[in-house]
Amino acid sequence: MSVSTAGYLARRAAQKERVQILYRRALRDTLNWAVHRHLFYQDASNLREKFDANKHVEDLDAIDRMIAEGEAQYNKWRHPDPYIVPWAPGGSKFTRNPTPPSGIEIAYDYGREDND
Amino acid sequence: MALRAVVLRHFRIPVQSLALAGGKSQPWSFSSSIRLMSSHDDHLSKEQVIERVLDVIKSFPKVDPSRVTPDVHFQKDLGLDSLDNVEIIMAIEEEFKLEIPDKEAVKIDSCNLAIEYVYNHPMAA
Repeated sequence: MSVSTAGYLARRAAQKERVQILYRRALRDTLNWAVHRHLFYQDASNLREKFDANKHVEDLDAIDRMIAEGEAQYNKWRHPDPYIVPWAPGGSKFTRNPTPPSGIEIAYDYGREDND
Repeated sequence: MALRAVVLRHFRIPVQSLALAGGKSQPWSFSSSIRLMSSHDDHLSKEQVIERVLDVIKSFPKVDPSRVTPDVHFQKDLGLDSLDNVEIIMAIEEEFKLEIPDKEAVKIDSCNLAIEYVYNHPMAA
């Protein structure tokens, strides 16, 4: 009995994490698709309603099926050119103007320090 | 010139006047570890991180601002659910111009963890 309970809890925890990640990606994608911030708010609350509608589903297999459906829908509508934070790989500032390694400094008047 | 370099290297402006002049974000600094005019921002202090993280959480609509403290747990103490947790982490990411990988973002479930993560992130701004 306890083994099956543990298995049940582990499966629920895995599903919870999957839903969280799906919601996170979907929310970010909603922001990518929204042209303005005020449009995003409505879209985000619609998305949240879609998730909340199935909040009380208890059947594990049904939950798995719904998550798979949601992920398929997310993949279908994924934005082709998502926003990437500038410093991240693919961002507009990636590897540009990096800070020099520690120990490197500018030598003013190089070679003439002792002559003045 | 040598004298000037030495003077410049030891010249410090007291923190008080810096805070007055620069306010929250310091656009310039005499600290030798930071390049002037470089695109890399001055790193945040712990107090700044705490203040801004708390501001973000307090302005979340479902949260009662008076109950927010630096060591509050989102779901146990504030009565939020796991999806609200995701939304808060997204808001913190936007506040600090971060991009947290999905697997790590899901694990941040309390104010303490969020503050630690942001403070230790090299690109937090």
